[in-house]
Amino acid sequence: MTKIKLCGLSRFEDIETANEIKPDYIGFVFFEKSIRNVSFEKAADLKKKLDPAIKAVGVFVDEEIDTVANLLKEGTVDIAQLHGSEDEEYISKLRELTGKPVIKAFMIKSAEDAAFVNESGADYVLLDSGAGDGKLLDRSLLREIKRPYFLAGGLDPDNVLNALDEVSPFAVDVSSGIETDKIKDPQKMRTFVKIVRDKNDNIHSFQDKFSIREMKGTKMNNNDSKNGRFGIHGGQYIPETLMNAVKELEEAYNHYKDDPEFNRELTELLNEYGGRPSRLYFAEKMTKDLGGAKIYLKREDLNHTGAHKINNVLGQALLAKKMGKTRLIAETGAGQHGVATATAAALMGMECVVFMGEEDTKRQALNVYRMRLLGAEVIPVTTGTATLKDAVSEAMREWTKRIDDTHYCLGSVMGPHPFPTIVRDFQAVISKEIKEQILEKEGRLPDAVLACVGGGSNAIGTFYNFINDREVRLIGCEAAGRGVDTYETAATVATGKLGIFHGMKSYFCQDEYGQIAPVYSISAGLDYPGIGPEHAYLHDIGRAEYVPVTDEEAVCAFEYLAKTEGIIPAIESAHAIAHAIKIAPEMDKDKIIVITVSGRGDKDCAAIARYRGEDINE
Amino acid sequence: MSNISKAFENKKAFIPFITCGDPDLETTAKIVREAVANGASLVELGIPFSDPTAEGPVIQGANLRALTGGVTTDKIFDLVKDLRKDVTVPMVFMTYANVVFSYGSDRFFKKCSEVGIDGIILPDLPFEEKEEFLEDCHRYNVDLISLIAPTSKDRIAMIAKEAEGFIYLVSSLGVTGTRTEINTDLESIVKIIRENTTVPCAIGFGISTPEQAKKMASVSDGAIVGSAIIKIMEKYKKESPKYVGEYVKSMVDAI
Repeated sequence: MTKIKLCGLSRFEDIETANEIKPDYIGFVFFEKSIRNVSFEKAADLKKKLDPAIKAVGVFVDEEIDTVANLLKEGTVDIAQLHGSEDEEYISKLRELTGKPVIKAFMIKSAEDAAFVNESGADYVLLDSGAGDGKLLDRSLLREIKRPYFLAGGLDPDNVLNALDEVSPFAVDVSSGIETDKIKDPQKMRTFVKIVRDKNDNIHSFQDKFSIREMKGTKMNNNDSKNGRFGIHGGQYIPETLMNAVKELEEAYNHYKDDPEFNRELTELLNEYGGRPSRLYFAEKMTKDLGGAKIYLKREDLNHTGAHKINNVLGQALLAKKMGKTRLIAETGAGQHGVATATAAALMGMECVVFMGEEDTKRQALNVYRMRLLGAEVIPVTTGTATLKDAVSEAMREWTKRIDDTHYCLGSVMGPHPFPTIVRDFQAVISKEIKEQILEKEGRLPDAVLACVGGGSNAIGTFYNFINDREVRLIGCEAAGRGVDTYETAATVATGKLGIFHGMKSYFCQDEYGQIAPVYSISAGLDYPGIGPEHAYLHDIGRAEYVPVTDEEAVCAFEYLAKTEGIIPAIESAHAIAHAIKIAPEMDKDKIIVITVSGRGDKDCAAIARYRGEDINE
Repeated sequence: MSNISKAFENKKAFIPFITCGDPDLETTAKIVREAVANGASLVELGIPFSDPTAEGPVIQGANLRALTGGVTTDKIFDLVKDLRKDVTVPMVFMTYANVVFSYGSDRFFKKCSEVGIDGIILPDLPFEEKEEFLEDCHRYNVDLISLIAPTSKDRIAMIAKEAEGFIYLVSSLGVTGTRTEINTDLESIVKIIRENTTVPCAIGFGISTPEQAKKMASVSDGAIVGSAIIKIMEKYKKESPKYVGEYVKSMVDAI
C-alpha cells in the first residue's frame, strides 16, 4: 500500500482538508526561502488541529540540530525530513537525541547518486529530481534504488497513476501538484489521495513489494541486534544482580523455542487446557448497527482464565519448569495475568507469589480471591501509586532477593530483554490464528486490526503476524483516562517521551526531570506509564498507529458490546471496541476490521456499575 | 587517576549515602558537612527517583519524602555547588538511568563537572548498557562506577577490567536495607576483582553496625552505608545532622 504525503501545508484550511482525507503524512516546510515556509509557532498550532493518526513531517534545510530536535521532542513534528547537506553524523545524532525517524532527501541525477541513497543511515529516503522544483524524476534511475523510498518531484493528480505503474515507492510526496495559484487546493488534495488509494485497493494484498522486514534489514535495527533492541528501544537496564538471571533465561529460551518436544507440549497445553484456538467471531449485529466495515472479534476472552494472558503464562511456566525453577512470581494490574500465573503454577505444581497494587486489589477484589483460591500468595503493594507500575517494581525487587529457584513471569511485552521477545512470541498465536481464520472466512486479509495497549502484550500478539502485510493497519488503543489533555491519563504514546525504566528504553509518561508520572485509567490493566519497546519502535517507523480512548468512551463501548452482541468485554478490551465504533462507520462496507477482545468483563461489572453510580454487592 | 582514588589513599574508606532533600536540602547540606567532619572519605549523594527499583523500603521512603518536598535535579546541582565551597572529599551521585537520560546525558555530566561531582552510580545501568552514558562521563571526567553482585560470577573479571573510580560490591542478594547477617563469600569475589584491576573496591548493601563495617572493610577497601543513615534522618528529621555525625564517627572509628 503506497503511503501518501501531502507537503507544504501552511494554513488551518489545509489541515481541515487533511483531517478529512487522512493522508499518512503531511509536511511543514521550515525554510525561509520557500513560499510554503511556516513559522515554528504556526506549525505547532497547526499540529494541534491535525488528526493524531496523521504524522507531521518537518522539512528542514541545514537547520541547527537542536532546533530540529526540540520540534520533534515538543511534538510539533513527528518525523524530520532533511533537505540540505546534513551528513550521517547529523542523522545519527538527531535520532539519538529524539528517537524519532529521519527522512533524508536526495536529488537523483545519475546512477552514482542512487548508490549514495542506498547507503544512507536515515530511516527513510526521499527522492527528488531537484530541490523541490516540481520536475518529474527519471524513472530508470529509480530501479537502482534498493530500499523503500518516498517519491517526490512533480507529482500531481494527473501523472501519479502513471508513476505508480512504473515504480513502487513506499510513499508518494506531493506539494505543488495539489495547489492552484500556489495555494493548496482542497479538491486537488482529495483527488490525489483518492487516486492513490484506489490504486492501492487494486493491488493484490500479497504482492506488496517492500515488506517491513526488508525495511528493517536495510537500516533499521530490529530485535535481532544485541541486547534485544527494537530500533533504539528495549535493552537491559537492570541491576547487575539480575544480569546472569536474564542471560540464563535468554539462553534457555533460545534453546527451547525451536525444540520440537517443548513446542509439542506447549501446543497441547494451549489447546487442551487453554482452549485454543480462540474463535474469530463475525459481529453481525454490531456491523449492521455501525453501518460500515465488517467487524470480527477475536475471542481471547473465551480462553481458560478469561483472557489472552494464559498464552504467555503457559509458555513461560513451561520454560521455567524446564529450567528447573520451582517458584513463579508475577506482577498483575487487573489481576488477569496474576490469575493466569496462579493457574499455571497450580497446574504444574509450582509455588506462586503475585504482586498487585493495593489500589488494584480493591478495584479487582474478585481476581484477588481467585488467585488465593488457586493457591497463590497475593502481596498488596502500597508504594508509589499502588498500581501496576509499583507491582512491577516490587516483583523486580523480589526477583533480586531470590533468583535460584524463582522465575519472574512477566506479563507484558516490556521489561528487560528477553522478556519483550519471549512474551511477544507466546502471544503471536493470536495473529497467527486471526490470519488463518480470516483467510478461511473472507479469503483475504483484514484492512485493520485493533487491540488495546497497556504494556502491549495482546496488541503485539494481534499485530505480529501482520507486520509484514503493510496493507493491514495496526491500531493500538491506549487508555486516555479522563483525557490526554489532563494529568489523569495513561496514554503513553500520546503524552509520554523517551526514557529508561523497568529495564527498557521506550516511551514513558514522566515529568521534565524524568520522574515517572502517576498515571490513571479506569482500567487497571492499562494503567501503566510505559509501553513495550517493540510498540515504541512500530510507532517510530509509522507501521502501527496508537490512539487514545477515554474512560467514558471505553465504558460506553463496554455497555454497547454487551447490549449489541451479548458479549461483556474486559474494560481493557473495551478501549479497542470504542475505537472501532469510531472508525467502522467511516469505512466502506467491503472493508474488514478485526478487534481482539483480550479478556472478559465479569471482573469489571462492579467497577462499571460504580462508575455509573450504582453500588452492587459482588 | 581520578579524584575518587584520594578517598582510599592509605586508609579504609567509609562512604555514607544520603538522599538529597530528605527532609529538605538545607538539612542535607548540614548532614554532608557533619559526615565529612566526622571522617567520611567519600560522600554518595542520592538524587531521588520516583520508582527506585533497587531500593528497599527505607530508601524508597526517603526518595518519596524528598520528591514530595519539591526536590529536583537542578536544585541538587545547586546544593553540590554550595557544598564544594568547603567540602573537598570526593562526591558521587547515586540515581537511576532515567534521571540522567531525561536531563540529557551531555548536559547532566557537564553540570556534574561544573559543580564538582566526581562519579556516578546507576544501579539500573549494567555493564552491557554503559555505552548509554560512558562517552559523556569521560568527556566531563565523571567516573561511571560499576557494581558487582554476588550473582556476577563469570562477569566479575569483565566488569572489573573496565572499572573506574571505585567498584561498588553488592554484599548480598536483594535490595538496599539493613541485614542482620551477610553470608556472601565476598573474599573470593574481591580476589577476582584484585586480579583484574587496581581500582579500589567498597562493599555496600545491608551494613548498619560498626562490627559489620569493620568486617566488610577488612576484606575490601571500604564500606558503604545507606539505609542505616536514612533511618536516622527519618527519625530526627531537621535535627538529624548531629546524630548522623555521631553515627559516622562510630563507623569510621570501627574500620
